Amino acid sequence: MTTKEEVLEKLSNSVLNYKRNDAIAAANESLTIGVNPIDAINEGLVKGMSIIGDRYAAHQIYLPQVLTAASAMYGGLDVLLPKIPKEELSDAKTAVTCVVEGDVHDIGKNIVKTMLTAGGFVVNDLGKDVAPEEIAKTMEQKKINVLCMSTLMTPTMDNMKKTIDILKEDGYRGNCTVTIGGPPTSPAFAKEIGADHRDSNAQNAVGWLKTGKD
Amino acid sequence: MVKTMTPYERATAALANEPVDELPAYPLACAIGRRLLPQKTTLREMSVNAKACADSFIAAANKYKFSYTVTLIDLAVQAHDYGAEVRMDEENTAFVTGHVVHSPEDYEKFQPLDVTKGRIAYLIEANRQIAAGLKNKAFVACHVEGPLLALSQSAGAERLFMDMFSDPEPVLKALTNTTETCSRIAKEIAKTDAPALLWNFLWGNYSVLGDNEYKQFEANDKYAYKLIKETHDLGLGFAIHNCADMPHLDTQIKQYKPDLYSLAYYPLNPSSPSATKVLDGGYADHCVIAGQIDPQLFARGTPAKMDAAVGSLCQEVKTGLCKHNLNSKWCIASGCEVPPELKTPMENIQAFMDGVDNHGKMSS
Repeated sequence: MTTKEEVLEKLSNSVLNYKRNDAIAAANESLTIGVNPIDAINEGLVKGMSIIGDRYAAHQIYLPQVLTAASAMYGGLDVLLPKIPKEELSDAKTAVTCVVEGDVHDIGKNIVKTMLTAGGFVVNDLGKDVAPEEIAKTMEQKKINVLCMSTLMTPTMDNMKKTIDILKEDGYRGNCTVTIGGPPTSPAFAKEIGADHRDSNAQNAVGWLKTGKD
Repeated sequence: MVKTMTPYERATAALANEPVDELPAYPLACAIGRRLLPQKTTLREMSVNAKACADSFIAAANKYKFSYTVTLIDLAVQAHDYGAEVRMDEENTAFVTGHVVHSPEDYEKFQPLDVTKGRIAYLIEANRQIAAGLKNKAFVACHVEGPLLALSQSAGAERLFMDMFSDPEPVLKALTNTTETCSRIAKEIAKTDAPALLWNFLWGNYSVLGDNEYKQFEANDKYAYKLIKETHDLGLGFAIHNCADMPHLDTQIKQYKPDLYSLAYYPLNPSSPSATKVLDGGYADHCVIAGQIDPQLFARGTPAKMDAAVGSLCQEVKTGLCKHNLNSKWCIASGCEVPPELKTPMENIQAFMDGVDNHGKMSS
């Protein structure tokens, strides 16, 4: 019979080897042998994805490999996440990721989503072209800790400010951390609109969210 | 002391590394030029009406006396004609909302396009009018999405990148056909008064592709080198625009050997090439470099801040040119398009041009 250590290694390797089907199979196997799904995620899938992130940061691999590895990780997560009892997720930090209204360029946002997941966050991805009202409503109703907004285009930058303004008006801004990204944004723009942080690197952004340091 | 030159003379002199009276200047002020037209013209109209588009570029080049003009309109021209859904809001740049590829078989949909139809025909007609209107006034480089960019815009970049890694053959086959479409566009551009073609080779970017991937999917004889040779054979100047954070400069400048290379600078990314790095790397020895004022400064800065930034860049560039025994191989430009929205202050464009006049004199 496969041991816990062996199945965790299979999960990690499925990501490192970019094999989505292997990740799904290993995730199912982990449940069959009674591994806690949180352990399977953190010590298997996420461990592999963290290594992928390090290799990407070191320019040993590039975006095609990162996206394919992430696809493997999500394949495993789709199996494991529904099996986690809700009460076990109550302490986990939560994040919303989105591309703001008027823009559909979401690769950067998806990398952030992947790195957040690999960093232990429970991510609610709202997708692209998302209205400020919808972002704010999700943050407030689900009591989300972190908001990550992205845009590639200049005309849509102001929708980041609109979102923050709604959070302020609704009295929720003090309950969450807001970070932004995308080529036209800058730390000065983040300050101007009342965001807490701006980053150009997904891993750095997650590191900042976890430690409060650049 | 070099005699006072016209903007166009500066442009052509810089291409030949001849002395100039002052550095040539060109912010990528593209769709924002519509605001100079007497009648209200929206970004949506710019995306569908070749005359409105051309009039906008011509108005901006004439008013501000640009040395160059790059006809960057949007990155959804070819994607539209390949069948992608393109959204054209009244006041937003046109962009793709619905992609073409949902399975590997969908790459078969990419066949060489008839360039006398659709948005490509609009692009060619706009370029024809711009080139005619600015002949001998500004050096016009017609912007065309390269084959990999056109494919990513149509297929969906994320999908494409994953397929490049896991199932490359359909992608490579599709690229052969998007390259053929680019060839056809180049032939039509060559029939206009435009002196140069500017290929957008965006994905030559170390944030996205390594050397091996870039070579496999663009930097080889079937794709980029084919288009480069054809550009030369057509008698056109050859330029590249790449506003990525970490461009493949060795490949795209030292191997492709363009006449002009337009690039951006992201100071927060230590790997992004500053003007000094570009000059010290010997890249301006090969072509005119156009960069690298932050486009956001046009939208969010003030004339005083613009003057300071342009002054600083001019000083950096002039020092570097002198250090490397170059006369003129730099155009003070924005790294990417000046934000075209209605609230971008037009006086920041004037401040940019005045800044080059004030700080870019080569005799000082």
